[in-house]
Amino acid sequence: MPELPGKKVGIVACSGEELPEGTVTRLAALKVLEELRPGETVTICLPLFLAGGEGDRTFARFYPTIALDGCELRCAARGTEMYSGKPAASVVVRDLIQQAGLPQPGGRRRLDEAGRRAVEATARETARLVDDLLGRPWSRLTGAPVQLAGGEAESHESIQAACSCGSGIPIQRVLVDEQEVTLMALPLIFENLRQQGKMPGPEVAGELLATVGIYNPIPAGREAAYEQALLREYAAFCQGRELAQ
Amino acid sequence: MSERRRKVVVVPCSGIGKTYGTVTREAAFELTEHLRPETTRLVPLSLLVLGDEASRAAVAQNPTVTIDGCKLACATKMVTENGGAVLQDYDILDVYRRYKQFKPQGIAELNEGGMKLAEALASEIASLIDDRGLDREGGGQHA
Repeated sequence: MPELPGKKVGIVACSGEELPEGTVTRLAALKVLEELRPGETVTICLPLFLAGGEGDRTFARFYPTIALDGCELRCAARGTEMYSGKPAASVVVRDLIQQAGLPQPGGRRRLDEAGRRAVEATARETARLVDDLLGRPWSRLTGAPVQLAGGEAESHESIQAACSCGSGIPIQRVLVDEQEVTLMALPLIFENLRQQGKMPGPEVAGELLATVGIYNPIPAGREAAYEQALLREYAAFCQGRELAQ
Repeated sequence: MSERRRKVVVVPCSGIGKTYGTVTREAAFELTEHLRPETTRLVPLSLLVLGDEASRAAVAQNPTVTIDGCKLACATKMVTENGGAVLQDYDILDVYRRYKQFKPQGIAELNEGGMKLAEALASEIASLIDDRGLDREGGGQHA
């Protein structure tokens, strides 16, 4: 049965080559991904937001992201917001160094001791932010925490940290009240339901809408329209599968 | 009469998800800091993503060499989208096929094979610059 993507935090580093702080962001991101929070984080190359396809651009809409920037230009934070979605949190290495009273890092290609200390500090702060984001609900629309009904946080499962290059997240365009919307993970959700033997009909409508709502914002007051559209698309999906067999 | 010199711009993808991205970054550093520091300069892809004016001008006004770490070719696409003309684009996987004795591993820190692959690529680019006179006004032709 296809597994739906688990809730994880995306980390986008500027990796700027012109400054030691750019190298700090890169190494700090990798430290979080590989050592500190390997099962709870994923990454994407910043330019993929532009050069990649729509699947890559859905990245930050799907995962709450932490932007790691070396300097005040904040390329990672601004680039992520421009082309994908607003970061849920942001770290600027220069600010962090100043606040922590750390020495200035040196060496763009090979960091000096001060640079390595900056990597440690940036990675620790990023890991703290990851924990923070996974411990509370997060809005993909505003990049801000939200409270779910009942006060429950969204659950997440640990999956090995991975690069999103070339994989992207499956999406599907759907007409809702004659307005086209892009829904993330929809093909996987359909396949998952179908393999559970749940056929299109009113009895699956609630579950379908709820599952889609985990990965996509459903505008308030439009639940019925979404439900209708999802049932229609799910019926078409199942019909297509039957014809293919 | 002495020829006017110009800087050749190098744009690596610096991809963070795979070893080959680090190789592109290391090759760019090797070229711009060690082999040809006087006639090359590195432009960070992150600045091009935001359309930074100085970076856009650099790729638009100078011969540009891109180094991509995967088939998505982010560096080449970004330079092109920002008004630059790519004189030569390198796909690191193609480079690796020419130097299969150098097997790269590691992302945060490359192994010896990765370092040697980066050095080999940097040397290739240096030779290209020399052979085609890319660092001289009027030198080189668009690929």
